[in-house]
Parts: sequence; C-alpha cells; structure tokens
Amino acid sequence: MKKCKCTCGCKVKKLIFKVLGIALVANAALFAVFFFDLDGKLLFNVVEPFLKKHYDDMDRKDTLKTPYSMDKFPKYDYNS
Amino acid sequence: MKDLKHLIYFENLLQEANNDLVKQAKADGKRAVGYTCYFMPEVLLDLPGCFSVRLRAPRCTSPDIATYYMSGRVCHYARSLLERALEGGFNFLDAEMATETCTATCRFQEHLQQKHLDSVDDMRIIDNDDFFCEFSDVPFKNNEIAYEHYAEQLRAHVLKPLNEHFGIDVSDEAILKAVEQQNEVSRLINEIGDYRKLDNPTITGYEFHVIQLVSLACPKYLILHYLRETAEEMKTREPDQKKDFRCKVVLAGSENDDPDFTKLIESCGARVVCDRYCYGAVESRQIIDIKEGEDPVYAIAKHYLTTSNCPRFMPQDEMRARKKRIAELAKEYHADGVIIASNKFCEYWSYERVIDTVILNRDFGLPVCSIEKEYINSASGQLRTRFQAFVESVEIKQIQEGK
Amino acid sequence: MAKKSVTKALKDFWYGKPHTAEEGGRRIGELYEQPNGLFKHREWRGVKDTMYYFYMIWLYNYIFMVKDVMVMGGLVNFAKGVWRYRWVGQTYLPVLHWFDRGLEGMRGEAMKASAWHYRAMVSSTIRQFQRMFASDTRLHGGKQNDKYKHNIAHNETVWGGVFYPWDGEITGVPLEMIPYFVTCHVNSHTVLNYIDAVQSIGLPGDPCPMCQAESGIFVLDDVPDYAPAVVTCNEACDASVSTSTLQDWFFDKPLFSLPMPMLFDDPLVKKYVMREIEELWKFVEDQYGIPFSWEKLVKKLEQQNELQRFEWEKWDVAAHSDYYPVNGVAQALYRIYQTQYGDWEIWHVTDKKVRKILEKCVSKKINSFPQTRHRVIAWSCAPLYYSNWCTWAYNCWGLNVIINMDSLMFDMTIRTDSYENALEDMAQYHMWAPMRRMAVGGMHHMFELWDYMKRFNCDMVAMYDQLQCKGVQGLHGLFEDEFRKRNINAFWIPHALPDSRTVSRAEIRRLINDYMTTVMHEEPLDPSLLDFDDSMTW
Repeated sequence: MKKCKCTCGCKVKKLIFKVLGIALVANAALFAVFFFDLDGKLLFNVVEPFLKKHYDDMDRKDTLKTPYSMDKFPKYDYNS
Repeated sequence: MKDLKHLIYFENLLQEANNDLVKQAKADGKRAVGYTCYFMPEVLLDLPGCFSVRLRAPRCTSPDIATYYMSGRVCHYARSLLERALEGGFNFLDAEMATETCTATCRFQEHLQQKHLDSVDDMRIIDNDDFFCEFSDVPFKNNEIAYEHYAEQLRAHVLKPLNEHFGIDVSDEAILKAVEQQNEVSRLINEIGDYRKLDNPTITGYEFHVIQLVSLACPKYLILHYLRETAEEMKTREPDQKKDFRCKVVLAGSENDDPDFTKLIESCGARVVCDRYCYGAVESRQIIDIKEGEDPVYAIAKHYLTTSNCPRFMPQDEMRARKKRIAELAKEYHADGVIIASNKFCEYWSYERVIDTVILNRDFGLPVCSIEKEYINSASGQLRTRFQAFVESVEIKQIQEGK
Repeated sequence: MAKKSVTKALKDFWYGKPHTAEEGGRRIGELYEQPNGLFKHREWRGVKDTMYYFYMIWLYNYIFMVKDVMVMGGLVNFAKGVWRYRWVGQTYLPVLHWFDRGLEGMRGEAMKASAWHYRAMVSSTIRQFQRMFASDTRLHGGKQNDKYKHNIAHNETVWGGVFYPWDGEITGVPLEMIPYFVTCHVNSHTVLNYIDAVQSIGLPGDPCPMCQAESGIFVLDDVPDYAPAVVTCNEACDASVSTSTLQDWFFDKPLFSLPMPMLFDDPLVKKYVMREIEELWKFVEDQYGIPFSWEKLVKKLEQQNELQRFEWEKWDVAAHSDYYPVNGVAQALYRIYQTQYGDWEIWHVTDKKVRKILEKCVSKKINSFPQTRHRVIAWSCAPLYYSNWCTWAYNCWGLNVIINMDSLMFDMTIRTDSYENALEDMAQYHMWAPMRRMAVGGMHHMFELWDYMKRFNCDMVAMYDQLQCKGVQGLHGLFEDEFRKRNINAFWIPHALPDSRTVSRAEIRRLINDYMTTVMHEEPLDPSLLDFDDSMTW
C-alpha cells in the first residue's frame, strides 16, 4: 500500500474532525441535558436534598445569647 | 380600701367618647380636636377655645363595616375607631389631628380625611361640616434636626389650621397657658400615681388607669377639679391591712385604653404599679419644661420626642436605651416583674415584645410575662391563666431568693 | 389526512406549536412533572427559538455565571459561601429554572429581551454575594480584610444611590436583597426556614412576612459579616422599623437610621430628609474616614438618569403600541432591582441590548404578545414566590401585564446642576421607595392607579392583596368601592409576599380562573394550564 505523503495535513484534518466530533457530541449531550431538564432533575433530587441536610445539621450560634449593650454606641447626631 | 369618691363618675365618663364633659365643653362653644397617638402633643390641642380628646372606642367588639374597609388583618383598635366613627360616635369632633405613627391608625385617619380628589370618593364619615383632618409628619428620630422639623410640622399642620379654621389663638402666650394647664394635670396625675410606689400602694392599677384615661379623654379644664379632689382624697386614703396582691408588676406594651384589662391582671394577684404603654402616664404626664426665652413650639416638639419610649424610634442608642428604661421603671416602682402586652397586628410591639422578653429577663433579672391581646379582651379566660401562672412563677422566684 | 398531520408536525417542529387550543395548541401544562414543577422536557419553541434558548439563554447563562463567580471573588470564596449559607446554596443553583418559569411560552423578541433582563439580575446577584463572601470575616478566620473595611451594609430598601459619593471606594451591599429578596423568586423554599426561625423566638405570625424573613436570617445566624457599619431605614412599614431593632441586636455594629417619611408630598418633609441624607454622609465620613465627593455623585447620578430615560422610552412603547417585547415579570423584577440598587454597569449593558430589540420590534411592528386579550396593570406588592404568575396568566388567559406598581415608583430623574437640586431630588427618590409610595404611603398615592391605567392603556387591574401588609389591607374596602363605581375589571391576588404556605400558587391561579370564567365569561387559551399541582416547585 502506498503511504500518504502529506502526513502533516492529514493529522490536522483528523484533529479538526476529532474536535468537531467532540464538539458535536458535547453539544448533543448538553442539548439532551437542556431539553430533558436533567440539570433541574439533578439539582432537585440530589443537590438540594444534600445541601438541605447539610444546612439542617449545621451547628449554629444561639443568637439569643448575643450581648445587648445599652451604651455601646453613641448618638449619631452631627448637627447638635 | 375605701372607694374613691369620683371613681364611678370617671368610669361613666369612659363609656363614650362623647361623654358628659365633652358635651359640656361643646356647649361652652369649644372645638373638639381628636387624636390617637402620644406623638400628637395634646397640649397644643388644649389651647384656649379648643380641647383634646384622645380617641377610644369603648365596648366595640364587632367592627363589621370597618372590617370591610380595612380587612380583618389590621389592628382591632384602628378598626374599632373606624367602626365607631362610621356609627356616628365621633360626629362631635371638629378636627382630627392625625399622625402617621403607626400604619393602622394612619389608615383610619385617612378614612376620616376629606380628600377632595378625583381618584377616590370622600366618605364624609364625620357628619360635621366644620370637620377637617390634618396630618403631621412625626420624625423617627430624636436628634436636633428632628426637633426642628417637628416644630415646623406642628406650626404648619396643627397651629395654622386651628387658627385658620376656628380662629384659635396660637400665640406664645396662649401656648404657655395651655402648657400650664397641662402641667397641672400632669402634676396631679403623678401625685396620685406616686402612691403606687408605696410598699402597700393606696391605689390600684385599675383606679389609676381610669383616672389617667379621663385625663386624656375629657376636656382638661373640666376634669381638673375632679383630679384635684381625687389627689386630696388620696392623701388620707388608707391601704387595706392585708395586701390584696401577691406581686407588683410594670405593664408595658402597645395601645391600651381598656381599664378592664388592668383589672383582669389585678384579679390574678398582680398589682399594676406602672403603666408604660400607649395611653399610659409614664410619658404623657411628664412636666413640659419651657425655659425662659425658648420658643414654646420647639420646646414642645422636643419634649414629645425626648420623652417617648415608642418602639417606632429608630436611632441605635434609642432602640437599646428603651429596654433599660423599663428595667429602671421596675426598680423605681418596686415591681417584681414586667408584663409586656402587644395588641394583635401591632407590628412595633410584636417585635419589641420579643426583644424585651429576652433582654429584661436575661440582662436585668426581671421575670417577664409576654402576651398578645386584642383591643377589647373578650378572651379573658386564656389571659387569666397566663397571668395566674406568671404570678405563681414570680412568687416561686421570691421564695427561692428567700424574700 | 396523514399528509396533513405530517405537515403539521413539520410546522410545529420548525415554528413551535401554536399558542391556542383552537389551533391545536402547545399545552404547556402537560410538560410539568407534578408536584415538583420540573419539566418532563423543556418546551420546544420551534427550531430558531429553541436553539436561541439553548445557546443564548441556558448555556450562555451557565457559562457566564461561572465566569462571574470567577471574576467577582473567585471559586474558593464561592464554595465557602455555598457551604456556609443556606440562602446561596439552596437557592441560587437552580437559577436556570427561574428563567424557565419566567420565560415559559415566550417566543422571539419577547423571549430574548426578557432573558437579558434576567441575565442582568443574575450577574448583579453574583456580584453582591461574591462581594459579601470575599469580605466575610466568618469565611476568613475572623480577619477583617481590606474589602471588609470598604463595604457598608445597608437595608435593602435604602437606595444604593446615597453611597454614590464614595463610588469605587466604599461598596454598598444590601443586607437582605440577596439573602432574602431574590431568593424568594428563585427558590421559594429557602425563605420558609427564616420565617419559622423568627417565629420560634416568639414573634407572632401576623407581621409582614418579608420583615419576618429579614429578621429570621439573623436569628438563624445566616448573615455574612462583611462590613463595619450599617445603614437602615423605616421602609416600608412599622414591621421594617422593628426588624431593624432586632437586626441591630444580632449584628451589633454602628448603625445609622435614615428616616423615610410617609408624607412626602409636604415640602417641609423633603427639607427634613435632605438634612438627614447629609447626616448619613457625615456618618459615612466619620466611620470610614473617606471624604464625600461631589464629582463622583454627579457622575453616578447622570449615569442613573440615563437608565431612567431609557425606561421612559420603554414605557412609551409599552403604553402606546403592541410592540413592547418585555414580559410582566421581567419588567417588574429588573426595574425594582435596578432602581433600588442604583447605577451599575450591567444595567447599561443590558439596556443597550434591549434597546436594539425594542427598536427592531417598533420598526418592524413585531407584536411580541399576539394573544393579548386584556392589557393588565398590576398594582401594589407582588407575591415573591409567584412573580411569574403573569407569564402563566398570559399563556393561559391572554392577560398581558403591561406595567406594575414596582416599576412606576421611581418615576423621575435627578438634577445635577447644583448641590441643592441634587439633594432635593435624592430626598424625593429616597422617599419614593419600594412599597412606600404606593402601598404604605399616603392613600391618594395608592389611587394613582387610575392615572397609570389610563397612561398605559390598560383595561384590567390585577390587584395584589398582601394579606399581612397593614397599609394595603387598610384600604381594601375603598378599592372595592372604586372598582365598582368605575366599572373596572379587577381581580385580587391574595398572597403573603415570600410565604407560599399562606396562599399557594394553585390558589392564586384558581382565583384568576374563576374570575375569567365567571365574570369575564372567557375560555382559556391553553386549558392545560388551568389546574396543575406545583406545590413543591422551587
């Protein structure tokens, strides 16, 4: 069999086709995610419940214990 | 204790806004000027030729037409006032000096206002050709700018219209005369109220509440005589040998012109020794001090903005200081605890009550009973249970402290 | 027969299904999974519009959200923020669904112009929460970094414009706009945690739920610590005043209160507010040690005026033609966001894009809402959890919300020819704050409705009925009287601002359906939208 002499051009072509192919597949995959609302389904069924659990389980400060100093702040009156 | 000579008379005066003394003043040719909020200086409505009436709607339990106009989700007090107005109960008013100090009473007063606009029909709720309603803007702050602004508002929206509509004398001399009269009322109320500071007070919270209310709801020049006599009578009044209360409390919170509410608390064993609520005496009966050469309107504006402890005030120092003031009142009046009562749908006091409930107890060691109530308290059974439980808890605390 | 159906299928594929039932309509309601509101599949809008939606809305926004996050504070801060704060993690991830709900059924220019408005809001939201996270001492081991020292926290209803004199030096970041207000639109679940939290410390359930939520964020300790000082105000109501009191306790920082009088028609009041704004400026100088700059103020005000002038052009088209390409929800949200926040680059970029679309619609006479049966004005405060009700109302009934109260509040430019004039107009602008002017403000402003109805050529009123707003409730009966007297078609939309539990979305739809069938005797355009369960929707 005769070997192709223009190795460089072929490689570029192949690369282009490869990139185009990947882009096409990625495009189709993204379109499927978009069209079938897979992003919404993932967020609703997996991400949000996970995060909710995390937030529900979080240790939180008891804000009612925050000090309430009566004299900590001055009167902001710049006209007197 | 022996009954106070004028108590029944006072109670009767509180049954209607248009009571006997109001009728008498009208017959004397004086103009009746209504208002709803402490921020409207009553002293300016008591200038010679007119008299102030702080509006109430006693015994209004079912404000049906007002509920159509204001819905059932607005403070019962504001709706009751509108209902009473729609029934004709405020037709004696010649003017309403309005403030936008809480949304619900603002809307009530806007209903009274003859708007003369294309956009909405005048309702002519007050059937009186002379009637007008004028709003003043009350600042949310108590700084120098606010004093000046409020003085200007009072000149433009209280004094000027009173003069223009009814020819009321609004000179400094007239104002000083009104201040003098107001100060005499205040001195008498304070004198009577100070008996609540005794270890075994010679006046009940209910009696004081009635006396304070008549001083707001009746023409001052007509009620003064009765107040003087009551103050005199108090000098010799003997307390019951055995205390008829189990603890003493400060009653703080939102609008309260219902002496039966105070009576309900006292029937559960708590003596109300201090009234830090709208219509109470803590603020409204402080002496107005006008210095020599001082502009009386400015001094009055400043007085009302500096004496108020209303949760409407927004400066940071003021937001915090008013909690401390309740604690100081408890100390001054030797109270064992504090009852914080907010009217249903009162947004200011709903929040303030939450903070007071935590802070007064946590930072000042005061037992606090936190309740929500209606304008007219028909659901007294539930409240009674709450108060009884509170009194018991205060007693237990006292036992634990070895008192 | 077969040929006909093939032709129709091809036509539907190419152009998207037609709107109405008579034309064999699109039946949007059948796309939902119930009750969660996810889509079995997203709507096919025809080749052109679907591709536009896919590339220029869905993909574009996902990409630019990532880009915004990276540019405005970085991925690390974002990740830390998401992990720490419920309101960002639970709310903002499903943001594209917010687009879907608002843009449902839209085609062509309406879809494009409305989407640009959404894009601007997303960008501005990211900017704000990233600024919070980048400065937050809680995410940086308690350290007060340089950004922290140059932020000022303010109540969301304090107009951002009062900080223009420090543009580039001090950044005003509203306390509640992102943690509370925007969340309700995007994911209505989050806010319920905050409402419940504040009620758990004893607050009754009847104060305004917006204020409850704004307090609840503090009760749940879910507010970033991103600024050394705070500016608050009494907008819009009594509950807002009290919310400030509660927030002050938990935030425990120097706080300045900027009053907002209700009686803003009184020239004396304006004078007072002018002085108070100057007090605020002194407070800022005092706290930050950076002097006031008149030049910066003028520059920013002029830029803001530019935004307002374009808004007037938009209103002109909306009022006098059928060519206005912005739907009711995009109009309302973008406008309130922009006017409240103040001047920012993204608004100008967006307006430029929208102008192109607007001009195209006018010159080519494109009617973006061809199924309009009624031109509706929406009045008073809208339900935050169902701000997209107007998209539904157009799709189902042909009710086209042309304009709304939120858009109309700041109907003014600000003079910059002198300090006095600028200050006077700023005072006016400040007092015309959201809800203040036309919900809680003097009652005659509420009744400006009739003038605006005429100005925008509307024949129907959607009257929002915020059940816990004392200002609006206090006028309920007068509106009923006036509607009857003027023989105006009006339907009420009861709601509790952020709290979807009080009046559900389904209940709102039922009330409108009932009105349209029993009073207007009309048939729905898309019957699949009449009744569906979206109780679990974001």
